[in-house]
Amino acid sequence: MNAPEFGATGIGAARYIGQRVLRKEDPRLLTGRGQFVDDIALPGMLHVAFARSPIARGRILSIDTTAARELEGVHAVFLHADLSKQKIELLSFFLMPIEVPVTLLADGRVAYVGDPIALIIADSRHIAEDAAALVEVEYAEEDPVVTIADARTGAPVHPTTEHNISQEMGDEEIDEDLDAALNGAAHQITHHVTHQRISQSPMETRGVVASRDGPEELTLYITCQSPTNIARWMSMALGLPQTAIRVIAKDVGGSFGLKNTPWKEETATVVAALLYGRPLKWIEDRYENLTAANQAREAEMTLRIGFDKDGKLLASHSDYSSNNGAYPQGADANVAVQMFLWGAYKIPAFGFLTRGWYSNTIGLAAYRGPWAMESLARETALDTAARQMGIDPIELRRRNLLTLKEQPAASVMGLPLEDITPAECLEKLLAYFDVAAFRREQAEARKAGRYLGLGIAAYIEPTGSAGSMPVMTGELAQLRIEPTGQVTALMSTHSQGHGTATTMAQVIADRLGVAYEDVTVFEGDSSRGGFSPGAAGSRQGVIGGGAAIKASDLLASKVKELAAHLLNASPETITITDGMIHVSGAPEMSRSLRSIAEIAYGEPARLPEGFEAGLEAQYRYTPPPMTFTSAAHACTVEVDVDTGFVKILRWISSEDCGTVINPAVVEGQIAGGLAQAIGTVLLEDFHYDARGNPTTVTYKDYLLPQISDIPTFEFVHANTPSQSVGGMRGVGEGGAIIGPPTLVNAITDALAPFGEVPVNLPLTPAKLLSVIEGRDIAGTGAGTAASHAPAPVEVAVAEAPVAAVAAPVPAASTSVDGDWQITMVPPMGPPQEMTAHFATDGTALSGYLESPEGRQEFTGSYDGGKVKFELKVEKPMKITLKYDLTVDGDVISGKVKLGMLGSAKLTGTRIV
Amino acid sequence: MKPAPFDYVAPTTIAEACAILDEAGGGATVIAGGQTLMPLLNLRMSQPFILVDINKIPELQGITKETGFTRVGPVTRQCDVLTNADLARDLPVLVQAVRHVGHHQTRNRGTVGGSIALGEPAAELPATSVALGAMIEVSSVRGTRQVAAHDFYLGPYMTMLEPDELVTAIRFPDWPANHITLFREVAQRPGDFALVGVVGALAIEGGAIARAGIAWFGMGPTPIKARQAEAALIGQSLDSIDPAAIAALALADTAPFDDHHATAEYRRTVGKRIFASTLGAILTLGEAA
Repeated sequence: MNAPEFGATGIGAARYIGQRVLRKEDPRLLTGRGQFVDDIALPGMLHVAFARSPIARGRILSIDTTAARELEGVHAVFLHADLSKQKIELLSFFLMPIEVPVTLLADGRVAYVGDPIALIIADSRHIAEDAAALVEVEYAEEDPVVTIADARTGAPVHPTTEHNISQEMGDEEIDEDLDAALNGAAHQITHHVTHQRISQSPMETRGVVASRDGPEELTLYITCQSPTNIARWMSMALGLPQTAIRVIAKDVGGSFGLKNTPWKEETATVVAALLYGRPLKWIEDRYENLTAANQAREAEMTLRIGFDKDGKLLASHSDYSSNNGAYPQGADANVAVQMFLWGAYKIPAFGFLTRGWYSNTIGLAAYRGPWAMESLARETALDTAARQMGIDPIELRRRNLLTLKEQPAASVMGLPLEDITPAECLEKLLAYFDVAAFRREQAEARKAGRYLGLGIAAYIEPTGSAGSMPVMTGELAQLRIEPTGQVTALMSTHSQGHGTATTMAQVIADRLGVAYEDVTVFEGDSSRGGFSPGAAGSRQGVIGGGAAIKASDLLASKVKELAAHLLNASPETITITDGMIHVSGAPEMSRSLRSIAEIAYGEPARLPEGFEAGLEAQYRYTPPPMTFTSAAHACTVEVDVDTGFVKILRWISSEDCGTVINPAVVEGQIAGGLAQAIGTVLLEDFHYDARGNPTTVTYKDYLLPQISDIPTFEFVHANTPSQSVGGMRGVGEGGAIIGPPTLVNAITDALAPFGEVPVNLPLTPAKLLSVIEGRDIAGTGAGTAASHAPAPVEVAVAEAPVAAVAAPVPAASTSVDGDWQITMVPPMGPPQEMTAHFATDGTALSGYLESPEGRQEFTGSYDGGKVKFELKVEKPMKITLKYDLTVDGDVISGKVKLGMLGSAKLTGTRIV
Repeated sequence: MKPAPFDYVAPTTIAEACAILDEAGGGATVIAGGQTLMPLLNLRMSQPFILVDINKIPELQGITKETGFTRVGPVTRQCDVLTNADLARDLPVLVQAVRHVGHHQTRNRGTVGGSIALGEPAAELPATSVALGAMIEVSSVRGTRQVAAHDFYLGPYMTMLEPDELVTAIRFPDWPANHITLFREVAQRPGDFALVGVVGALAIEGGAIARAGIAWFGMGPTPIKARQAEAALIGQSLDSIDPAAIAALALADTAPFDDHHATAEYRRTVGKRIFASTLGAILTLGEAA
C-alpha cells in the first residue's frame, strides 16, 4: 500500500465526529448519581473482611479461628480448606493458567505481607474486621526475597520452582556479531534505568458484591474493565457455564490495568458467596489497596547502544528485569518492552534478555502502558548519547526515526510498520514550540543562576489489538431504532471514565443521521453486550468505533430500503438527516424516522417482501491486528538548585491518533496519562523494607500527584487515518508511556551543567541535589554517577539437572535416536510438555514433535551430540522455530529461537 | 479500615472531660478535629477504649486577647485562624504557618490544639508555638499547669501531656507591633508535612535585635528551638548580621533523620540554605522598614 498523507483528516464532513460535544455521562457522575460497587446493597447481604499475613514469607504452623467465630455477628470464617470445596483456577488476562499455583487463601505458606489467610463473613464490615483481628496464626518465618537482586540469589519464593525466574526470553549470552557491532561502534553508550514500584491507585478500589441466585446462577457487581470478560474469566475459573453468570459494572472509578481480571480477594468472595448462599460484599479499603492490591512497574534495564560517527543507530542490546512479586497477574517477562523498544527507529541489529523475577512482594499487574520502560530507557539514553556526541537531541532523533515516506517497513523485531508518524509528529511539535527561543531563555536564566531544561521524546504505541490472542477479540455494536425513532446502542465497550457512552453515540449519530441527543449507549452489563476484553490496550475508540460505524451503516441501509419501498422511491435517493428521511428532489415526501420505525415494528403488511420486521442491526468489527498511534512530546522545567525541586513550566503533546471522535475525550486521556507520568517521575514510590514490609501504606507516604503538580497541557493534533474502519487510533496509554522520558529529559537538560542524572525513579529532590552538588545526599550510595552496575547475571537454570544425571551414562550412548520427553518454557503461559522422536542416518536427522496440539515432522542435522532442526508454525504468528539442542547421555537441553519472540529453553530426558 | 470498638462520650465542661480522662486511667483518647486521629483509628493504629469528644466544650473554643498574650482555645479550627483579623495583625507568622497546615478541607475541621498536642515533629504549629514562646495550658483533676512549648515536646508524638490531662489553651505571648517574621518550608506537595522548615519572629529596637524566637520543624524528633542562633542574634544590628553564620549556628541545634522522603543530609543541606536565605531576606526587609 502507499503510505497515507500525514495529518489528513479522517472521515469527511462530520457533524458529531471531531466535535467537543458534552459527555452524556457527566451530569449523572457529577451530581453523585453514579453507581459503583459500594452503592449496591442486596437483601440479606453480608460483609467480608480478610485476615492477612503480617510477614513476607513463612510456613503457617497453626491457625486458630475460635475467637473470631465466636464473635457476635460473625457468620463464618473460611480458610483455604473451606474455599477449596469449590473448583477454582485463577487465570491470566489472556485466560492462560498461572505458572505457579495460586490459592485464594494461604495454603500452608504465605508469600507476601498482606497475603490473605482467612475470609470472615459478618453482619457488617466493622464486625468482620473485628473478627479478622481475632484470627490467631503461628508462623515459622523465613527470610524473604524482596528485591530483584535478592531474587537472583535468594531461595525460590515458590516451593514448586527451582529458581526465582518467573519468565525469561531472549539470549543469556549476547550474540557475538551483535557484541562486535556494539564494541566496534564509533560511539557507544551503556545506559541504566531503574523504575520504582507503582500502586495503581484507582479512585474506586477493588470490590465485588456476589449473589448466588439459584443453584448455578451467579450475579456479580464488580468493578472491572469488561463485564463480559469477567463473566468469561469467572466461568472458566469456576467451571460454570458463562450464561449462568451475570456481571454488572455500571460505573467504574478507574482501573489502569489493575481490574483486567479478578484476583485473590474478589474471587474468594465469589467462591464464599457460592458456598455460603448469601449475597456477600467485599470492598477493598484504601489500606488494602495500597498493601494487597496488585502493583505495577518495578523494573530495571541496561541498554547498550552503538552509533556510527554521524549518530546513526548501528546496534543495541537490552537486558531487562522486572520484580513480578509472588503472584503476578501479568507482566511475566514483559517481552513487549523489547518488541517496542526500537519500533519507531531505524536500527539494523538488536538483541535482548528479558526476565521476570518472583519475590515476596505483592504481584505485578498491568498498568497503563505496561511496556512503558522501553520509551523511558530509549528516550533518556538517546538524550544522554546526544550530549556525549555533541549532537542536538532533536537532530539525533531526526537522523534515526522512521519517517512516513520510508514506509512500509519492518522494525528490527519484525513489526510491520505502514503508517507510523513519530518523525512527523516531532516536526509538527517543533513548528508549534520555538526551541531556539527557549534555548536563548535557558542561556539567559543560567547566567542568573536559574536552571531551565527542555525534554523531548517520541514514540509509537500499539493500540486496538485484535485477533492475535484469544481474549483480544473485535467489538460488537448492537443498534436499534426504537419505534419512537430514538436509537438504542448496546456496546461491548466499557467505560472506567473513558466516555464511551459519549464517543460511541457521536459515531452512531453521525453515521446514522440522527441527533446526538437521540442516541443512548448502554454498556456495563454482561447480559446486554457482546464479548470484549473491554478497556484494555487502548482499543475501544478504534474497534468499538469501527463496530458502531459498520452497524450504523447496516441499519441505515435497512431504513433506506424500507423508506424507498414506502415512498415508492429508489434506495439511492434516500438520505437520513437529523432523524428525518428525505427523498432527493422531492422535499414534500420527507418523513420522520419515527413514522418509518412505527411501520417497521407495527405494520408488517406494509413491509417489502422478505423484509425483517423492526429496525435492528448488529456488527462485530475486527480491525487489522494492530493500529499504531504516534506522538512527540516536549516539556520545559525549572529545577531549583538550592532544593532540588522541579517545577514544570510547559508541556506540549503532539499526538497522531488518526480520526479524533471527540478532542476533549482524547485530551483527557492524554492528560490523565501524563498526570500519572508526573507522579512516576517525581513522587510515587511504593517501598518495602528489607523484611518485605511495605512502608508506604497510606497516602501520607505514597505520594500521588495533586492538581497543583500538573501543568496546563497544550495539545497539537495530527489526524493520519488508520487502516481500521473510521480511521481512529487508540490513545489510552500514551501519556503514561511518553510522559516519563519527556520529563526526565527536561530535568536532565536543566542539570546538564552539573553532570548526568541517573535515571533512578522517582527523581526526588534529594537525588537531584546529589547531582547538583556532586555528593551523596540521597543515601543511594551515588554521587553524580549511576551506582547500579548490574549484578552479575549468574542464573542457575538448566545446568543443575544436567550435571546431576550426566555421570552414569557411558559416552557410547550419546545417540539421539529414540523418544524423548521434552519441556519447553515458552515466552508466555505455562511450560509446555512434548514428545520428540529422533532418527539419525549419519549426520542427517529426521523425526517429529508431538504435543496435544498435534504432530509436526522435521528434518535436520545431528553432529557430535548437537541436534539442529527447524519447524515453521503459523500460530500465534508466522515464525520459524530454530531448535539447537545438545544430547548428553539421557538428557537433552538447549533452546529454540522463536523468531522475533526471542528464544525459549528446553530440557528433556530420554524415554526408556 | 474500620476502627476497633470504643465507647464515645461528649462532655460539655472541662471539669467533666478531666473527670472522664481521670477515670479512664490511660484508656481514653481525646478527639477534637479528628484529622489525624480518625485515620489512625480506622487503621487500628490507635485503639482507645473511650473516645472523649471535646467539641462540645465552649471554653475550649475561640481566640481572645488578654493582657500580655493571646489565648487560643485548642478547639479553634485552623480555618478560623486564617480569617482572624487580630491574629493577622498581632501574630502574623501564626497565620502564615496555618496556611501550610494540611489542606483547605482538613483546615475546616482540624484544630490548633489538636496539631499542637499531637507533636508531629514535621508539623508547622508545634514549631510555631516553640518559636513564639507559647505556653501550653494543661488541665486535669489534679489542677492546671502552664508548660512552655519548648519543654512540652519529648519526641515524635510524645509530649509532657499525662494520660489524664487535657490541653485547655495555648497562650501566645505578645510580640512588639513592629516585629518581623520568618517562615519557610520545603514540602514535596502543598499540604504535605515539611521535609524541612523554619519559623520565627524577631523584635527590633533601635536598629538592633531585642528578642528572637526561631524554631525548626522536620529537623529532629521534636520541633527544635534554634537556641544558639537566637542568642547570637540578640543585640546585633540588622546590617551586621551574617545570615550564613547564623544559619550554621541554627543547624548546630538540629538532629535530623532519614526517612522515606528525604535523608538527614538533605534536611541539613537545604535547611541551612533556606534558613540563611529567609533570614537574609527579612533582614533586608527590616532594614528597609
